[in-house]
Amino acid sequence: MLRKLLLGVVLFAAGASYGQDQTPLYTVVDGYKVDPFTMKGFRTWRAAACDRCHGANQEGLVGPSLVNSLKTLSKADFVKTVRDGRLDKGMQSFGSSQQVMDNIDALYAYLKGRSDGAITRAKVEPIPQ
Amino acid sequence: MRISWHTRLPWAGLGLALAALPGLALANADVEKLTANPKNWAMQAGDMYNQRHSQLKQINTGNVGKMQVAWTFSTGVLRGHEGSPLVIDGTMYLHSPFPNKVWALDLESQKILWKYEPKQDPAVIPQMCCDTVNRGLAYAEGKVFLQQADSNLVALDAKTGKVVWTVKNGDPKLGAVNTNAPHVFKDKVITGISGGEWGVRGFLAAYDINTGKQVWKGYSVGPDAEMLIDPKTTTTWMDGAVKPVGPDSSLKTWKGDQWKIGGGTTWGWYSYDKALNQVFYGTGNPSTWNPAQRPGDNKWTMSIWSRDVDTGKVKWVYQMTPYDEWDFDGINEMILADINVKGKPTKALVHFDRNGFAYTLDRTNGALLVAEKYDPVVNWATHVDMKTGRPQVVSKYSTAQNGPDVNTKGICPAALGSKDQQPAAYDPETKLFYVPTNHVCMDYEPFQVEYTAGQPYVGATLSMYPAPNSHGGMGNFITWDAGTGKIVQSKAEKFSVWSGALTTAGGIACYGTLEGYLKCVDKKNISKELFKFKTPSGIIGNVFTYEHKGKQYLGVFSGIGGWAGIGMAAGLEKDQEGLGAVGGYRELSQYTELGGSLTVFALPN
Repeated sequence: MLRKLLLGVVLFAAGASYGQDQTPLYTVVDGYKVDPFTMKGFRTWRAAACDRCHGANQEGLVGPSLVNSLKTLSKADFVKTVRDGRLDKGMQSFGSSQQVMDNIDALYAYLKGRSDGAITRAKVEPIPQ
Repeated sequence: MRISWHTRLPWAGLGLALAALPGLALANADVEKLTANPKNWAMQAGDMYNQRHSQLKQINTGNVGKMQVAWTFSTGVLRGHEGSPLVIDGTMYLHSPFPNKVWALDLESQKILWKYEPKQDPAVIPQMCCDTVNRGLAYAEGKVFLQQADSNLVALDAKTGKVVWTVKNGDPKLGAVNTNAPHVFKDKVITGISGGEWGVRGFLAAYDINTGKQVWKGYSVGPDAEMLIDPKTTTTWMDGAVKPVGPDSSLKTWKGDQWKIGGGTTWGWYSYDKALNQVFYGTGNPSTWNPAQRPGDNKWTMSIWSRDVDTGKVKWVYQMTPYDEWDFDGINEMILADINVKGKPTKALVHFDRNGFAYTLDRTNGALLVAEKYDPVVNWATHVDMKTGRPQVVSKYSTAQNGPDVNTKGICPAALGSKDQQPAAYDPETKLFYVPTNHVCMDYEPFQVEYTAGQPYVGATLSMYPAPNSHGGMGNFITWDAGTGKIVQSKAEKFSVWSGALTTAGGIACYGTLEGYLKCVDKKNISKELFKFKTPSGIIGNVFTYEHKGKQYLGVFSGIGGWAGIGMAAGLEKDQEGLGAVGGYRELSQYTELGGSLTVFALPN
């Protein structure tokens, strides 16, 4: 009970973000320990090799900085971009990647956490149970 | 004295005589004639030995400092510009990165004679992530050959730019795209394939220059028959001798069917020895970058190959980095030179590998003669065992031994290698190799990744930074004695030298820098910078030279991009280090901007 309460305090301090249904989009402790859902998003980010274009820190390389982009990009536009790509700009379509499409909400949660500044480094770890 | 095929004039005559005889594989007399004339720059390397040396000497050590810009040409394309134009009898043929535009320019007026712009599916752009480079054109018998990004190999009429034939070389839906230059050897145009990061199974293929019909195709991995390996006659270096590879030499070194998505792509520069009738080239990394997923030596990725030009049959093969754990692609060019190796005249093949070792082999049989570090900071292996030919891996820097999800730190060189695709030059007068190098180290964390057709198949996160405790820069321009395996001179550069070198009979060696400088140095003393000029963008193209109406010109593509230029060096452990020295290439933005152009220099009238 005490543990749960403490966690809640930390989350509040980190500025946890909430989706429309008021469940947290992601939860993060110490800037890099995240819930299993957000963890899935990180694993998807790595498996799809997004870092090749967006940089291992999401700060952008040949592709734009996602830390910046996700401040203005809506969830719907994010999903559309990942699914359909922006071929002329070099963003590939991940619509045929089951791993990416199955985990796109988690991917969004992870990247939104990075963009919000709540997740303070690219490599995250599970919150210890 | 320079001994190379195109100086043997009697052969050229014989080639012409044989041209009338059907059924014989003929030397390409046209390309021989064109490259023998130093006024032309008729192949990407200037010749078939990959030497990048010119006999022209009007521009020399005494006057190169007076060079001025003669003319410039914008390609209107923003991505990285690798390779160089070709110059053939008064016409220049230029290429661009995707969409792979081609121009023919009249050298007298610099007027565009024709322009070709292929329509390609933009879906190939992200498959070339992270840059859409193209390493240039080939020319033979009135045709210009272009290897498009979408894997179509195209022959254009050199007079009109009209398509003569097109052939599909690979399936872009699987990530099989192309960045390499095609090469014409004899009556064939030879090309390879990219996509090691997409799990593409590499190969080299030869097409008839007149019809585009495929003559042979040899895979890098898999069953002997598909690699065109004969277990009895194809040899490799083992136990201190050249021995037959034996049956299933590739299959035995892969787990199950993994070879089918095993990489070994072939996007480098190829060379050709007419006397041996062999084409030489290297194969790239095994897929994925996570070694835990592909136990075994992963033959024949990371290897040097010698194939018969007519049949594709493999004469010999040598693997530099068995079971790669660092993405040390073996595609860098094979330079053919007849040099003294440990005091003995040798038909040598010299190769500066991504793994940081420079190899000298006997190109007639693949015997290993020299393998030494060409950057002192190389640390992942102590040395190459000369008997087995295998590098002796240092456990601390083994990403396989440390295992997935562990970040192995301080590996030198970084994945982009002590040298990447930027080609070195060989100067027959100084008998030295002029090598543009990277001086970059990395942290490397492999992780489990699943293969999906047409999707990236990488499985490692990297961060790169300048070699610690060194001069602070990320590159060196060096001279190398391939007969002894020693660095003769080393000139520090702020960024990796990602541009191909040129040496000339005028006593100069020239190269470009990522900041955008074209530099020419005294080839006998490379610390003597004789000329320096800032071109419109960073240089990853290759320096070339030609003569027109009695005047020598020297040129280079600028247009920042490529792996180094794009700035792969993110991926830092600590965000606060983000824009500091650790993100080495990020600093490039303080020096240069995107934009492709050709700058051509000459002495003032």
